[in-house]
Amino acid sequence: MGKSRVAAVWSLAVSVGMLTAGCGQGLLGGGSDAGGDKGPITLGMLIPQSGSEAAVGPYMKNAAQLAVDEINGKGGVLGRKLELKVADDACDAQTAVAGANKLVTEGIDVSVGGYCSGATLPTLPVFGKANIPMIIPAANSQELVDQHLKHVFLINGTGTQQATAAMAWITKQGATSVALVHDNTSYSKDIAVRTQKLLDEPGGAETVILEAVTPKESDYSANIHNILAKKPDFVYWTGYFQEGGLITRQLRQAGYTGSIMVGDGSVSEKLAQIAGGDAAEGVYATMTQTPDTLQGAEGWIAGYKKKFGAGPGPYSNQAYDAVRLAAEAVKQAGSTDGAKVISALEGISGFQMFSGPLKFTSDHTLATGGFQILVVRSGKFTLQDALK
Amino acid sequence: MTSTRSGTRGPVTALGRATSRLLEGKWALAGLAVALLAPFVIATPYAIFVMTSAAIFVMLASGLNIVVGFCGLLDLGYVAFFAVGAYTSGVLSTRFGLPLLATVPAVIVVTVIAGVVIGAPTLRLRSDYLAIVTLGFGEIIRITANNLDVTGGPAGIYGIPGLTGDPVVFYYLTVGIVSIAVIGASRLGRSRLGRAWRFVREDEDAAEAMGVHTYKIKLAAYIAGAVWGGLAGVLFAAQLSAISPGSFTFLRSALVLMAVVLGGLGSTPGVVVGAIVISLLPEVLRDFADYQYFAFGVLLIVFMLVRPQGLWPHRSREASS
Repeated sequence: MGKSRVAAVWSLAVSVGMLTAGCGQGLLGGGSDAGGDKGPITLGMLIPQSGSEAAVGPYMKNAAQLAVDEINGKGGVLGRKLELKVADDACDAQTAVAGANKLVTEGIDVSVGGYCSGATLPTLPVFGKANIPMIIPAANSQELVDQHLKHVFLINGTGTQQATAAMAWITKQGATSVALVHDNTSYSKDIAVRTQKLLDEPGGAETVILEAVTPKESDYSANIHNILAKKPDFVYWTGYFQEGGLITRQLRQAGYTGSIMVGDGSVSEKLAQIAGGDAAEGVYATMTQTPDTLQGAEGWIAGYKKKFGAGPGPYSNQAYDAVRLAAEAVKQAGSTDGAKVISALEGISGFQMFSGPLKFTSDHTLATGGFQILVVRSGKFTLQDALK
Repeated sequence: MTSTRSGTRGPVTALGRATSRLLEGKWALAGLAVALLAPFVIATPYAIFVMTSAAIFVMLASGLNIVVGFCGLLDLGYVAFFAVGAYTSGVLSTRFGLPLLATVPAVIVVTVIAGVVIGAPTLRLRSDYLAIVTLGFGEIIRITANNLDVTGGPAGIYGIPGLTGDPVVFYYLTVGIVSIAVIGASRLGRSRLGRAWRFVREDEDAAEAMGVHTYKIKLAAYIAGAVWGGLAGVLFAAQLSAISPGSFTFLRSALVLMAVVLGGLGSTPGVVVGAIVISLLPEVLRDFADYQYFAFGVLLIVFMLVRPQGLWPHRSREASS
């Protein structure tokens, strides 16, 4: 009984192997025919749809879909329709690499995803090997830039640019002692440490404390105690909005009356809701342009709301722009060939995006980050200073 | 399984043992054949990646099986050894330019040290207390990696050289290494040491009374598990080329433990099957998007309700007749 069953498994495995080997997906099959000049141009998007950062996924996916539909409505690119394929990266390295491989297998032409830096980093070689250009809408850790990969383009402001904007506002506010608070994630620590370096330069404000908190906790009183012991008059939180809201509330409850500023990961109406009451009133933020602070974006916001039944959120505009930019690059290249699209992206100048006219630096980042200062008024982030 | 069984020994038992070993060997060969032939069926980059991940997960699960399955020590922080292995090879290969293979001896030494450091003080504890302490160690390793500069902090290490350039070759290499590891774990479980482990699992006091040095025996199980986990970490680093603390969360420890329990505690083929199920299910369910982990959870509950003893439970060889 046992022997015959084993034999059956053996013969089944062998015969299935032989039969399907000719289908083109096995080792003995021919090369894949993906990436040809027929059919739709596919854009792949790796975003968190599960895990800790799942909330941001729909904002990016919907905005990208909006751009795809708009372009298809105008006849597509090179006479071909665009198609969006989304895969979950769960903000986790292994899931992200699996997702990237899935997209490569599905034959995408350009990647327009990438939110968590830690999950985006290991996907770079996967797309690079398949010669697929990457337009990264949100992830902006310096490590992505430092590898100087030819196929990687960042359309979000970098940590350095955000730190520069923070420094400009700290100076403008006349603060003297600054507390920098981060959550030890790659993105958050990067901004805090870069801001500290700028503050270290002689003259102006000083860093009194660089404090790291543990994300996903509910009580930060120990951290607040450490911060307030140094008597800062300016607190800069560089992490995400969940902790940002709690820290804001607990700072105010502890009697802190100085300025509070948060980084772009914290720019969400939820920050004010979590902080509760009017604790978040007057909180500043360093942020790239958002749908809310854009002039002339009302039509875009209305169109988005009509289509998805809810307003756009963080990184909606970058995701939207990533798709438009990918379409533009393919159009200028006249083909979906990776190398041609990459040189088209390098050559693009003055393409209108939410962050202003586009021109990539030799590092493949935006020449200007487009960071501006927002402030919370009646629970909403509104423009305070464009830092121009 | 109790210690009374050791009395019944005869020709029938010997015959049963021989056939069961032969049978298990056949199944192992069939499993290996499926693994080796799979790339001829589907060799897309995605499929190869998922299958390689599954193979690495099998190695992790067979390592944890030594600790939990054979020796009965509940370890909730097993991912710590996985992280130690991955980081050791990652740091040595990127900072000192060593080829990944050359880091293996160092990984073995470091994981043995980690096993002793974590095991020596904690193995005096029993059951729940041990579980809590190991849980803590798992977190300590992750948070340490998150805060040290040499480990790249929260961004981790990137640009780790792979073992081979071609993912298919890497897959076959992984299958080969994992097969050796699984067979090794299984042989260890049947050795004199393995019998001592099972004795300790069943009744630690009785084992002690019979002259088994339980502390040493438990430490040996811990170290063996650590080395298995560390070597799996090397494969993980080679596969991903980038590692960060986010890959070594408590969830992964829990998933490995789940694979061991789902497959059948102490059963080598069971653990292999359990690990394959646990690592492939989320990918199979990927298209359900939002419902992916919901479906995953429901399926796991159904599995455990239908087969609480595991998919392929361990049968004591002494009892077969």
